[in-house]
Order: sequence, then structure tokens, then C-alpha cells
Amino acid sequence: MKHLTEEEMIEHYYSEDLYKADAEIHLQACKQCSQSYAELGKLLGSVRAPEPPARSSDYGDQVWRSIQGALQPYPAKQKRSFFQWPQLAYAAACLLFLAGAFLAGRMWEHAHTKPSLASNPQQTKERVVLFVLDNHLDRSERLLVQLNHAGAEGEQVDLPLRGEAQQLLTDNRLYRQSVDRSNDPLLTAALDHLERVLLEVANSPEELSAADIARIEQEMNTQGLLFQIRVLRTKVSEQKQDAQAISKGVTL
Amino acid sequence: MGNDDYALVRSVLAGDKDAYGSLVARHSQSVFRVAFRITEDEADADEIVQEAFLRGYRNLEGFDARSNFRTWIYRIAMNCALDVLNKRKNQMVVPIAEDYDGEQATVQLADRAAGPDRLLLSQEIQARRYAAMEKLTATERVAFVMRHMEDRSTEEIAGALGIAPNSAKQAVFRAVQKLRQSLAPLWVKS
Repeated sequence: MKHLTEEEMIEHYYSEDLYKADAEIHLQACKQCSQSYAELGKLLGSVRAPEPPARSSDYGDQVWRSIQGALQPYPAKQKRSFFQWPQLAYAAACLLFLAGAFLAGRMWEHAHTKPSLASNPQQTKERVVLFVLDNHLDRSERLLVQLNHAGAEGEQVDLPLRGEAQQLLTDNRLYRQSVDRSNDPLLTAALDHLERVLLEVANSPEELSAADIARIEQEMNTQGLLFQIRVLRTKVSEQKQDAQAISKGVTL
Repeated sequence: MGNDDYALVRSVLAGDKDAYGSLVARHSQSVFRVAFRITEDEADADEIVQEAFLRGYRNLEGFDARSNFRTWIYRIAMNCALDVLNKRKNQMVVPIAEDYDGEQATVQLADRAAGPDRLLLSQEIQARRYAAMEKLTATERVAFVMRHMEDRSTEEIAGALGIAPNSAKQAVFRAVQKLRQSLAPLWVKS
């Protein structure tokens, strides 16, 4: 059994011990510690605070009179008004600086934004076209990848491809007509090529054999088309990012 | 009371010196009581009260609005008491006969306890206690008085004396040990 140290007993006496309950249990169980603790209590109990001699009711006044001569009054503080010159001037200077910084920022933005690409309706329309065209090329690319993949593995193709090709075909016609007017021969040629492939797939029989797929691949050069589509996608994505950046610059 | 005190402090700092008189009148009795318990000397206690309020006035700009003026002035009084005790220690010449001697104490007590009057024993204890208290260092004495007689926590003592809580606790321990050494023989014989 670990006995309580003198320090622990003193802490317990003044109720400052962290483990008060543990000390209490130990004191009940341990006769030796209990006896020491009782002696300590008796000793400290005998040390009583000396009774201070009474002071008259005007003791405070007496103390004040004895010290007040040595005290200098604090200088009266001036009432602070916010609308005093230095504060007002400082606030005005801050406001002027902030306004100047804001205007300079605006001017800098305008100076560094291509005015020709600013928000006119034509550019807005082009951005929308780029967005949907990117989506269309993405879907077309996936279809061509699936087609090439099926051909390589020599599988019979049951055709969710056919339905997809039919949908893409309709969209592709619209895009091709739209792009015809934009003087982009590469894109026009690619969409034209894609249309032929989509037409072939969309009108293919219920089940495409490996031989049918090989024929389409060979006749339509689908590998070459896939490459073209990927190049176009990269180009369209870049144009789209440029258009978005310009759009953000303009809205600032 | 606390808010009133703070209002008075603000008045003093705004140039109204007499407002400090109200603070002195309000707290000087309690400061005297503590000062006397520490020094056990009326003149020293009066000196501490005056010195504490003087120092308080001069440092009033450092008074934190969140503090309690009473606690703040107590803290200053504790420091004044420490100074007085240290000064007293330096000036004190302890007669050899007053130094504690266990054998002598036992003999004296045996003589006095032979009578039926317990009052004599009590007086003897108080005399011994006084002598034992004089042997404590200034810090031990202030810490013990605050802990034992003023029922202040270790944190309060540490704050008043500007020491770490563990140092305050150790100061109380040492004071109790010294008192025990001085007073225990009386209890054994009684």
C-alpha cells in the first residue's frame, strides 16, 4: 500500500488534491496515514488567524488624507471626436486610394482584353456552337472507338451502336451545315466524312458481322477518321477555353 | 460594486483625483485586515495600506477594465507586504533564547500544562506560532496566510505574488512543514 506523502496530506487538507476521493478512501483504510493526517489537522486547526485590531469607521478617510497630498491628478483627457481633422483626412485619403486602385484595375483589365473578342452576339453564338460541337465530337469518337474495337476482336455487334449512330447522324447534318458557313475546311471535311460513316452504320443490318465491320473500316477509313476527330476535339477544346477566358475577362 | 469601482477608476483617470478617495474609503478596511494577518503588526499593516493605495494610484492606468479593483489592490498590497517582511527580516536580530529549542519548549510546556487552565496552552501555542511564522520567508508567509487564513486558491496566490502556481503550492508546503516542526512537540507533550 502506498502511503500519502506529507504534501498530499497538505493538499488534501486544503481540498486542492486532484484525487480527493482516492485520498479519502486511503485515509479510511490506512491507520498510519489516518493518524498522521489527524495530527496535521490538529496542528493546522490550532493556527488561527490573528484578529486584526478594530479600525474606526473613518479609517478610509484617514488613509486618503494621509496620501492625497502625494498624488498628482491625472491630466484630463480631451474628448475624442471622430470628426477631427487628422482622422478625417486619413479616412478620406484611404477612400481616395481605394477608389483609385479600383479604377486602375478596371482600366488595366480593359486594356488587356481583346476588344474584337468582346461580348458581341456573334461571339456568344460561336461559344455555344463550340460547346455543343465538342460534345458531338466526343460522342462520335466513342462510337468509332467501339466500332474499331469490335472489328479488332471479330465479334458480332448487336447494335446499341446503330441507334446511337442514327441520333448522331441527325445532329451531324445540322453541324455540318452550320460549319459550311464558317470557312473551316478541315472541320467541314471531317464532319462530311463522319456523316458517311454514321450513315453506313445507321443503315446497317440488325447484326453486323466482323466482315461487315472490316469492310466499313476499310472503305470508310474509320481509323483515319478517328484520328481526325481527336485532332478536331483538341482544337475545339482549346477554342472553347479561350472563349471562356475572354468571357470572364469581359464580365469583370 | 465592481462596476462602481470601474466608474470611479475612469473618473480618476479623467482628472478627478478625489474619486480615488472613494475607492480608498471603500477598500482600506479589508486591505488592512489582510495586511495585519500577514505582518501581525498594526503599524506595518497601516504602512502597507497607505503604500498599496499610493502604488495603486500611480499604476491606475495599467488597471484592466475586466479585473476587479478589490483583487487588483489586494495584489498590490501583497507585494507591499512582501517588501515590509523582507525589510523586517533584514533588520531583525533574533535573540538566541527565542530561537526554537525542542527541549526547552517541552520543559516550558510541561510546566505550564501542569495547571488546569487550557488557556495557557493556547497562549503558548500562539506564542510559538508567532515565532514560527517569523521564521518563514516572506513568500512562504504571504502564501500561507492567503491559503490558510484568507482561504485563497493556489492560482490566486500565484497571481498575487507573480509566481507560478506550483511555486505557490511549494511555498505553502514549506510553510506548513516549518510550522509543524515548531509546533508538533507542543502537541506531543500536551
